[in-house]
Amino acid sequence: MSEVQWRSSGLPVTEAKDIKQSALTLDADVVIVGSGAGGAVAGYELARRGKKVVILEAGPYVPSKDFTERFPESLETLYQDHGGQTNKSGDLLVLQGACVGGSTVVNGCVCFRTPDFILQDWQRDFGLSDLTAEELAPYFDRVEKNLSIEENKEHEIARHGQLIRAGANKLGWSVKPFKRNIRECALTGHCLSGCKTERKQSMLVSYLPWATAHGARIYADTRVTEVLADGGRARGVRAEVTGHDGAKVADMTVNAERVILAAGAVQTPLLLLKGGLANRSGQVGKNFACHPSLYVSARYPKPVHAWRGAMLGVYVDEFLHPDKGGFVLEDGGAGLAELSMTAEPGTGEPFMQFMKDAKYLGGLVTLIHDHNVGTIRWEDGRKVIDYQLANSDFPSMKRALKAAARLHLASGAEEVYVPSSDKRVIRSEADIDGAIEGLDNQPQHLRMVSYHPQGSCRMGADPDTSVVNSDGETHDVKGLYVADASLLPTSIIVNPQVTVYALATRIAERMA
Amino acid sequence: MSSQQQTARRLSSAFQQGVTRRRFLKWGLVGSAGVAAAAAGGFALLRLSPLDDRPKPDWAGGLSRQEYHLFDRARVALLPTVGTDLTPSDQVPVVRNVQGILGFMDAATRKDVATGLTLFDNAAVFFHGKRFVDLDEATARDYFDAWSRGNVVQRTLGTVIKQLTYTSYWRDESTWGPVEFDGPVSDRWGIAYLGNAPLPDQQSEQATEEGNA
Repeated sequence: MSEVQWRSSGLPVTEAKDIKQSALTLDADVVIVGSGAGGAVAGYELARRGKKVVILEAGPYVPSKDFTERFPESLETLYQDHGGQTNKSGDLLVLQGACVGGSTVVNGCVCFRTPDFILQDWQRDFGLSDLTAEELAPYFDRVEKNLSIEENKEHEIARHGQLIRAGANKLGWSVKPFKRNIRECALTGHCLSGCKTERKQSMLVSYLPWATAHGARIYADTRVTEVLADGGRARGVRAEVTGHDGAKVADMTVNAERVILAAGAVQTPLLLLKGGLANRSGQVGKNFACHPSLYVSARYPKPVHAWRGAMLGVYVDEFLHPDKGGFVLEDGGAGLAELSMTAEPGTGEPFMQFMKDAKYLGGLVTLIHDHNVGTIRWEDGRKVIDYQLANSDFPSMKRALKAAARLHLASGAEEVYVPSSDKRVIRSEADIDGAIEGLDNQPQHLRMVSYHPQGSCRMGADPDTSVVNSDGETHDVKGLYVADASLLPTSIIVNPQVTVYALATRIAERMA
Repeated sequence: MSSQQQTARRLSSAFQQGVTRRRFLKWGLVGSAGVAAAAAGGFALLRLSPLDDRPKPDWAGGLSRQEYHLFDRARVALLPTVGTDLTPSDQVPVVRNVQGILGFMDAATRKDVATGLTLFDNAAVFFHGKRFVDLDEATARDYFDAWSRGNVVQRTLGTVIKQLTYTSYWRDESTWGPVEFDGPVSDRWGIAYLGNAPLPDQQSEQATEEGNA
């Protein structure tokens, strides 16, 4: 094994500007598509075991020092489609990181293990009998240790979190501090724009530098266009390197006996569908879920300054289990741009008054356990995220909204703003049913955002109903693996990054 | 059903004639706001406006003349600051910022958006006898409010134009002071960079693996 060369800062990445030839051919033991949660972890775990690893990332390499802490700009530089990725009807913004480090660079650091009842569903409904809590525990332990995942300390619970915690206690609801992957949080509140001072333990400052220390090579600006396979075996990938001006710089071929797709739950199935690979079951791109979430803002009598302090402090898990509602409420900070888009307080003066009082606003994020009703596919050469909130999920969404309103009121809020296209303001418990029961499950009636796309290449024991097995290998193409949130057979209610880290660790370990 | 809603339904129906369902449904949020994308083909101006002959600024090459005037009217209607200490919207490059967001769209989506914006502008003729760009501020606000309660096309367009305009105002640093928004803080606070996380202890990793085996 070659010498380990860890560096204290930065990341050795080959970018489009570094490439001088028009065609490159690389050889590797493993080529990994995507440098986010799944790709980075698999890359490190394989590289440290002596495998020759190449990681290809379609997005740019943006070093931490270049993060601007301006959310609208960050959307344009760090997110998929410059922050404009949506479902087909356009009422659900699907936010994914599109840079070296992927969504781990721009997430809110929230860490949950996969709930036991979700794993039990997977065992019962998908034959994933080996994915028990006991089996996965050592993998969770490892990633939690590696990524400094710890419960928020008191100083990491900002004013908005303190209010929500007090309200939950008043209602007798279970409320807990988040666990987050962060070292010495600087309390800037800019998680979604990337952590400039490298406190968030994203892949950019952890598994990717560790992987390169063990010899892995990372290429940014490199979009894989085709997975190569013949005779039922993976052989590598083809890719294009594109400069930041949009001009193609080079064609690339990576020859490898093992290919890991970790480009996320939208891009991974698109790549498989493009090549017609691993789809005997017809399930590639199907069963997409995304935890459609709402940001419910409310005005408090005293300043909250929702942009100050750690962005995410506490969460209410009172309704986590599907038998109790199947949703989570997360206290969430926000900046001005986000606040301006979440509520509809009225047009003109009412809106400007709402924003004038922005420092009095606090917010709650609702996450629901949605059904896997969506489809990812190509249409006329353009990707389509065909996902509409299912009618069967709408009652859950309304229950989550009502609970968020109740919690805000119990926390002392004077006005709660329903995140709908029309003006709906709740000032007392008596207003809640009227404001929320009148909502229709129609496109563009709610302002939904998804941070957690998942489920489009689901795991399962049966090759006729699933795409990959519990080791992440596709049923149909030997040596072709999936190691991102596409794997998840059902939505998991909670933030999925730790689930992906653990599964990717396990997949890499079993592959090696 | 109100007369506005009835008219909206007829308008929407007429608008969809000759438009494929697939493209019609391509109304999408774009950037940090939402941007409508709609049907194929053009949409002739239903009524001329005095603004049609008024030039747009040199920097507005990414907007049509109609789009420039539409967003400038939206700026005035949506961002009133009189009587407050908020930054007047004419001191903020709102329309220029809108142009920047629209510039990130792929060509097909951008074309669809242009059609949607033309619809929004023209549909006001049915409700108020004037294009949106010619409405006074109060009527323009009523128009937005009516569309927020309308059909899916109306909800989409109303939301999209509002969010583009709002974001383009509030992203500008000059708007932050009056509401005590801190903006970027790390450099200002002198926060130290932590660099990369230390490598995991290999012996510990191996021990964990053996435990798994």
